[in-house]
Amino acid sequence: MFDREWMKRWQDAVNNNGPMSWIGKHFTADMLLGFGDKHFVVSFVKGKIADFSDEIGPESCYQLAVKGPAASWEKFCQPVPPPMYNDIWAMGHPLHGRVTLEGDQMVMWQNMRAFTWALDRMREI
Amino acid sequence: MAKIEPIVGRYIWVPFEGEEYRIYYEEAGEGIPMVCLHTAGTDGREWRHQLCDEKINKNFRVIALDLPRHGKSIPPYDWYKEDEEYKLTAKFYSGILMAFCRELGLDKPVIMGSSMGGNICLHLAEQYENELRALIAIEACEYSPGWHLDWLRHSHIHGGETCATSIFGLMAPQSPDKYRWETWWYYSQGGPGVFKGDLYFYSVDHDFRGKTEKLSGKVPMYYMTGVYDFACTPDMTEEVAKKSKNSECIIMEEIGHFPMSENPDVFNNYLMPVLEKILAA
Repeated sequence: MFDREWMKRWQDAVNNNGPMSWIGKHFTADMLLGFGDKHFVVSFVKGKIADFSDEIGPESCYQLAVKGPAASWEKFCQPVPPPMYNDIWAMGHPLHGRVTLEGDQMVMWQNMRAFTWALDRMREI
Repeated sequence: MAKIEPIVGRYIWVPFEGEEYRIYYEEAGEGIPMVCLHTAGTDGREWRHQLCDEKINKNFRVIALDLPRHGKSIPPYDWYKEDEEYKLTAKFYSGILMAFCRELGLDKPVIMGSSMGGNICLHLAEQYENELRALIAIEACEYSPGWHLDWLRHSHIHGGETCATSIFGLMAPQSPDKYRWETWWYYSQGGPGVFKGDLYFYSVDHDFRGKTEKLSGKVPMYYMTGVYDFACTPDMTEEVAKKSKNSECIIMEEIGHFPMSENPDVFNNYLMPVLEKILAA
């Protein structure tokens, strides 16, 4: 889980998802997703994952980083996730802190519907 | 034969603190008046299943109002030139609610509210215990921080989609998709800044820490919280219930922050024993 192969399956699930074509029409942003010690910069372009990379270095650019323990993401990805792990804002809310949100948080709020819809596709792979 | 629901909607003008508020409410049933309070940023449509449930409305006159600025209840006429952005307070919320009950001539109503409607029950118990029969405080706690956010009224952010999506995860994955997305739909339709303004009460003005244990217990309190509520967790409700005299705490499995609208079948099963106790009292 959370390796390149898994990311490719998630990319396909997002890019082939019907509603994402209109929900994500204006969702263009670079995000860092941190699953424990595995980090990926994910480039969303008009609601599709155009690219992802685990080669994180001094030239990596992203607007928002969402990082948490792999165990948190594993719970999030379950078909029926347990309480407090069923949603990115549930996990990121300061009351719980199952993931951290760092960077330009407005990117998440501006694209919240498309971003959460994309993350929910993780439960389908 | 046409499928027509028993719900009837009306408008009532409620005088309060020098203003007159045109308030929309829906009702169904006969018996003990039970006023249902919607959650922040939305309206009384959340209660449509309880209004229509014969097991409930055969003994209760179920009334669901839209607070001013919500649903079909218009804001005060001068809202557009207010010096400060809208912020709901416990004083206004409890005051307008009791003024509504008096104007409608309700005799010792039951008040049932969820989220901010649950939290206001603590204030009602403190200030209006002689006018109430029972309080059903759903998803209620003493203090619920972290929700009064500028993102929820921001010129660079789509208010409807963002407000609605921000609450989606408060619902349980086991709740039927059709009802979760109906709840999302209601949230997408709030007026600009109304959700955020309500959350001023929810996360800032409502702070009952140190006060719960001082409530007399004259009005029975029924706390009900769903396990998927990440704004008011079961632990937070159990804590306030432990301090409340004459109270009962019910933790509901496989349901979240909007039990009445996200999964009415499951919620009504939890609610019926509470209503039977109120009937028997």
